[in-house]
Amino acid sequence: MDNQIRKYIDDLLKAAEKEGFVESEVYYESDVSMSVAARERKISQFECSDAAGLSFRGLYNGQMGYAYTEDIHDEMIPFLLSQAKDNCGVLEVKEKITVYEGDKEYPTFESFTEELTSLDYDSLSKMALEMEGALLDYDPRIQAVDDCYTMYNESELYIKNSKGMLCEARTNSFDVYLGCRAKENDDVQTYGKSWCFCKLSEFSMKDCVEKVGKRVIAKLGAAPVPSVKTSIVLDQSAATSLLAAFAGAFSAESMHKGLSRLAGRIGETIANEKVTLIDEGMIEDSPFCIPFDSEGVAAKRTVLIDKGVFTSALHNRKTALVDGLESTGNGFRGGPKGALGISSTNLHFENGDMTQEELFAKMKDGILITAIHGLHAGINGISGEFSLMSEGFEIKDGKVGKPINQITIADNFFDILMKVEALGNDVDYHSPERGHTQSPSLLIPDVSVAGE
Amino acid sequence: MLSQSSIERILTAALSRGGDFSEVYIERCKSTSVSLLNGVVESTGSHLDLGIGIRILEGDKCVYVYSNDLYHEDKLIRMAQNASASLSQVESGKTVYLEPQIEYFSHKYKIAPTSVSKSEKVAKLRCASETATAYSSLITQTSASTAANEKDVWIANSDGLYVADHRSRTRVMIQAIASSEEDKQYGYFGPGSAQGHEFFEELDMDDLANQAAKIATTMLSAKPCPSGKMPVVIGNAFGGVIFHEACGHALEATSVGIKASYFTDKLGQQIANPLVTAYDDAKIAKEWGSYEVDDEGTPSQTNLLIKDGILNSYLIDKIGSRRMNMPSTGCSRRQNYTFAPTSRMSNTFIAAGKSTPEEIIADTEYGIYAANMGGGSVDTSTGEFNFAVNEAYMIRNGKICEPVKGATLIGKGNEVLMNIDRVGNDLKLAQGVCGSESGSVAVDVGQPTIRVSEITVGGQG
Repeated sequence: MDNQIRKYIDDLLKAAEKEGFVESEVYYESDVSMSVAARERKISQFECSDAAGLSFRGLYNGQMGYAYTEDIHDEMIPFLLSQAKDNCGVLEVKEKITVYEGDKEYPTFESFTEELTSLDYDSLSKMALEMEGALLDYDPRIQAVDDCYTMYNESELYIKNSKGMLCEARTNSFDVYLGCRAKENDDVQTYGKSWCFCKLSEFSMKDCVEKVGKRVIAKLGAAPVPSVKTSIVLDQSAATSLLAAFAGAFSAESMHKGLSRLAGRIGETIANEKVTLIDEGMIEDSPFCIPFDSEGVAAKRTVLIDKGVFTSALHNRKTALVDGLESTGNGFRGGPKGALGISSTNLHFENGDMTQEELFAKMKDGILITAIHGLHAGINGISGEFSLMSEGFEIKDGKVGKPINQITIADNFFDILMKVEALGNDVDYHSPERGHTQSPSLLIPDVSVAGE
Repeated sequence: MLSQSSIERILTAALSRGGDFSEVYIERCKSTSVSLLNGVVESTGSHLDLGIGIRILEGDKCVYVYSNDLYHEDKLIRMAQNASASLSQVESGKTVYLEPQIEYFSHKYKIAPTSVSKSEKVAKLRCASETATAYSSLITQTSASTAANEKDVWIANSDGLYVADHRSRTRVMIQAIASSEEDKQYGYFGPGSAQGHEFFEELDMDDLANQAAKIATTMLSAKPCPSGKMPVVIGNAFGGVIFHEACGHALEATSVGIKASYFTDKLGQQIANPLVTAYDDAKIAKEWGSYEVDDEGTPSQTNLLIKDGILNSYLIDKIGSRRMNMPSTGCSRRQNYTFAPTSRMSNTFIAAGKSTPEEIIADTEYGIYAANMGGGSVDTSTGEFNFAVNEAYMIRNGKICEPVKGATLIGKGNEVLMNIDRVGNDLKLAQGVCGSESGSVAVDVGQPTIRVSEITVGGQG
């Protein structure tokens, strides 16, 4: 980060004090990225960016007002302060919000991998071309690789406030997305998958190509099944999507606002005793580690469900104060533009002890669900109900059978927590489907499936 | 702001080595928002976005770079040169000169949203929250918010085109939640317009609040929706999301241009029931999805997509135009400067037919009436789409009966279009936000009441 920005931030904090803000804080984030896409054995797209945003928040008349700019220039200081002050004038938040003086210690970890900085246009292009070519050659039924991206991302976060807190972090990652289309007779199937790596050695092109190629071919000939109530195994990816979609229910903010069915239920059994749910800011192998949240609270490990018992919600400093607790280090903004809320970090069910094959054997007959779609619309985040378009495979006598598509599965997330019969041991931190959430495969009985 | 000569230098640098076309997109956007939860102001926002995107094309290959440092021309020139060098190492010697600027006013607003005090907006939102709460003792939570922006964009390219456009959009949202001991259901409306604060001022928010509260309380008493294949009557306005997902996305050059769409090479062929005529029309005055000029500087137009069931037109941007050898249809859009533009929808709707909604219901022996739809998504290669139903009722013997909850409709785009067997005369548009390759953009969906003879309904019942 250049010294000009540091000086700008210092000037802004000083000006805020002069303007009468009792407390103030600046949140600055910059991102550099480079991505290459290959199609038909040629480079089809190259994107490169260097962008930053700065958010100011200040306490005035008992309210914390925000303002955001991407025009980072001396003339913008009065804009930020006047907008934040105006916003304080209309806010009616009852809870006391302050900026944090910082923790004494923060976890140390390697969030920045020097090796990745060597990734440039040439190396990203080479990988994208090779990977696209390998997938096209994987099977003659693969018609096209519509999405093949290799991407390098680097971001810098800098939070400084009037209480002397300064939190800085620099992270980088290497991301890959691979999606293709296969055709047999008149049947077209698609499959795509993304990966995120912190070390180049973790990336195996062969694995990525095989995972995508094998799956898309397996999907050929997929058809609906008759409507039925049956046992299902949600695979790692489908279960992760579902957990991520309902993660908001564990936020203390949702509970305080009456938007979570878990409000007031700490200490109660809300899940099967096989279920333990953990939120962990720093986790080995996860590409999503950050030593502090957006308020500057050090990363923590919080057990949300301990063997079926609801033990803790996710808190930021505001909700923790209301409940007379400590923040769990989950006070995050959705990027520099967002106001401070609550988000999970590495949220995951603890692995069970069964392989996916063992789950199939236990289920005997049912459906393996490998993807669920429409999560932005087909769920009721408060009641827990969902009805979602799904795809997968028939499981007969414990063995994977015919591919299935054009079905929906419908149930209630909170009921699923109670009735989950077994958990797999296949949490994979390198396949972030939705943010940082991870789940192993789950065996669930009595789920409504709608098809033909 | 960058001067015309600075822009010329950047466009020239972008073609200094490789590339046959360069384009600059500069954006400055002021936005303001305020939201209330249970009648209390919970959050407010004031944002200023500023940035530049530089795009270079060589055939259908695209290089896109962006930054929000507009103060260092030397840095931008270097970015443009590097981008150009990724296409070729040979110096081209090309120089770009721009024509005089053409200025558009896509959205002629009367009152700039950022000029209105937030407390004025709060007062109206609070009223609406109170109306929703007063609707029934079952209403336990409300949220009400408004967000608006004023956006100036400048688009210039190596063909000499230099365009400025001024845009403004205002959106209002109201949600009511009804609770019982075991369940919570919600009702929601989010109207928007390509206008300034006057849209918010003139809006009857109490009516919306009552409607949202009505949906929430009705759905609270609903039983789980039955599942399986059956006829579904889909209400007007936001019901048009079915056409947006099942057909609109698959007509975009983004997928047709690379032959990924199931509607590739189908111009002039029947793709829908002859009752179906559909448009994508960016020129409807004040509509949320409207604009005068697209994000490549091409004037917008009214695109007749389907006429009496026959495919008439695709939605084509510049790259799509190169891939498909067809002219642009003025539909290239992006969320902001951080995205390269691509073919997108604007206001997309099925045109009015002849049946009255009452006739359509009376003519349906058994099925679902999907009165209000939620969002959805589609895979444009396979045609598989899904979307949620927010308010639904059973139809028995031609009559609307009890409410049912938790319904999802799934199907394949090409099949569902053929299965539309009734089209009503009550066309209405509704506002939404569509997410795709070039980010989230404001779109209208729309339709009259229609009936689909058979579609898979997913529910817990």
